[in-house]
Amino acid sequence: MNGDDRGSRGPGRPGSGGRGGGAGGGGAKEGGGKRYFFRRRKVCKFCADKIDYIDYKDVKLISQFVPERGKILPRRMFGTCAEHQRKLTEAVNRARHIALLPYAAD
Amino acid sequence: MSDRTYEILFIADPNLGEPEVDALATLVQGYAEKDGGKLQRAEKWGKKRLAYDVRRHREGSYVLLVVEGSGAMVKEVERRLKVTDGIIRFLTVRVDEELRKAERRKAQRALGEEKRRGRAGHAPAGDSEVQQ
Repeated sequence: MNGDDRGSRGPGRPGSGGRGGGAGGGGAKEGGGKRYFFRRRKVCKFCADKIDYIDYKDVKLISQFVPERGKILPRRMFGTCAEHQRKLTEAVNRARHIALLPYAAD
Repeated sequence: MSDRTYEILFIADPNLGEPEVDALATLVQGYAEKDGGKLQRAEKWGKKRLAYDVRRHREGSYVLLVVEGSGAMVKEVERRLKVTDGIIRFLTVRVDEELRKAERRKAQRALGEEKRRGRAGHAPAGDSEVQQ
């Protein structure tokens, strides 16, 4: 729906890329410098923005965390904290029921 | 006890005209009021594309009613929504507890921030900028 803006953001991507870089960090040793790839710590967006109530009607907000196929991604992708992930799931399921979000892409 | 807030969101048949959708909204409002409900807020979102087909419709008119009332009221409203023609999908959510919790948390955070600022003397006021 309006998931096209997700390509530019998506905090999960640089994090998982960093993990791969960690393995490559061993190779950086011969350079004699830093050994570890600096991985940016992911912070729960809802905590950072101080969103206490995740509204199922706010499709714009929710769709940032749900890819086009409509699946809910695991926490590690976006770094959401357990509490907010739980609330997000609830909101997504409600939005799905009322046809604001797809259950599965076709 | 019976002071609960519910959001009743329903999707009306897209073939209905605007006055008919309005009529449906007042009808549902009437269902709620009959059982002691009180309308707080009504919103019409207009015609929107559905994420998937519902009863062979690709579109639907969304109407949101925020109603104060008891659980029995919602039960009755839901029963009636199920049999009302022109409503293709509905969702009722109790929101008062969650909203109250969110409100309390917000207040607590404001309090904590003030305390922190007080302890540090002239503390930096811009810790919201750090996150950006």
